[in-house]
Amino acid sequence: MSLSSFLLLFFGGIVTGTFGAMLGLGGGVFLVPFLALAFGLPMHQAIATSIVAVIATSSAGAAMNVERRVVNLRFGMLLEIATVCGAILGGVTANLLSGPTLARIFAVLLLSVAFMMIWRTRRLKSEDGATSQNGTFPSSFRDEATGTVVSYTVRRVPLVMLVSIVAGNISGLLGIGGGIFKVPAMHMISGVPMKAAAATSNFMIGVTAAASAFIYFAHGHLNPFIASPAVLGVLGGSFLGISINRRIKGTALTWAFVVVLLLVSVKMFWR
Amino acid sequence: MTLEMKSTESPGPQHVINRWISHVLRFGVWSSAALMVAGLLVHWLSRTVAPAPTENPAPGEVLRRLFSTSVDDVTLMYAGLLLLMLTPVLRVLTSVVGFSVERDRRFVVVSLVVLVMLLAEFFFSLHLAA
Repeated sequence: MSLSSFLLLFFGGIVTGTFGAMLGLGGGVFLVPFLALAFGLPMHQAIATSIVAVIATSSAGAAMNVERRVVNLRFGMLLEIATVCGAILGGVTANLLSGPTLARIFAVLLLSVAFMMIWRTRRLKSEDGATSQNGTFPSSFRDEATGTVVSYTVRRVPLVMLVSIVAGNISGLLGIGGGIFKVPAMHMISGVPMKAAAATSNFMIGVTAAASAFIYFAHGHLNPFIASPAVLGVLGGSFLGISINRRIKGTALTWAFVVVLLLVSVKMFWR
Repeated sequence: MTLEMKSTESPGPQHVINRWISHVLRFGVWSSAALMVAGLLVHWLSRTVAPAPTENPAPGEVLRRLFSTSVDDVTLMYAGLLLLMLTPVLRVLTSVVGFSVERDRRFVVVSLVVLVMLLAEFFFSLHLAA
């Protein structure tokens, strides 16, 4: 491997990992288009690399969130049954589809992620704090920003399990975490506070991604010379993104990325 | 209410599972990152021009080569990637043990279901590859 391609992969990983963490999207949404468009990697290899990077960022983040008890362990473990089923199906399906078909499906995903982001900035803020006390999986965590203890319970579990199957399926098929769909579902349907929903979703993503990673590995899509620098870059980038996030807040940033997502989506479709 | 808040603050036996899971995840991420960095360093320092592998080796083969005297760059990187892929499996295994310590039978079963699905799929994938 030439030094230039190593550097391109490593810094590409850092940039995509940073943006992903800043927007709460995880690394995959930007890493897959980067590997496929800028690096010219076949779609299956791009997805395989991304899914391993997703395991890394999810595990690193979850180690912190589990210790702080922001993750609802029991609820997460139950939903993992659903996401793993979805992910296995997604991984198997992806290996039956052609590269160009996967690229088109990915383009549609980017489009829906862009819409989810617009909707998220408009809708979710006003919903914060709407927790319920008469559901299942009672849990509480200390909100570091306000210093208060937030207690809540979980409502309508079967419905969120259904969403989780779909999220797991998209994750396995396209090499992303799927948090963009799970977090709003856990918050809006089940009444889980945003911080706990994001932490619990991220906690589940590692297991979901591992499920399909084995399939891509078995099909020989994981090139260590490409995956190692990219994964290390994304991991470093995710820490950078989290620390930038603590300082900068703003919807202007979200809108800028919505435009980027739309452009990348068009580019992926007519690759 | 005050009692409830106290119970979430104290690190009782209930939260042992959180600490264990956290340790397992940290161990997995940092050891695999170290293996990948080592692999890349060996690659650049030895300047071997080994061709990029066209198919992924069996995990057993990677493990055998890792502990042999002829450990090379590709083996180190594969070991890192495989350890990373197995980290979530180790985390689920830790949950099984943790929930049994907490005597939460329902969630021992839930964790076991996830573990069995992951392991079955892991071995099935390998069988398919071979």
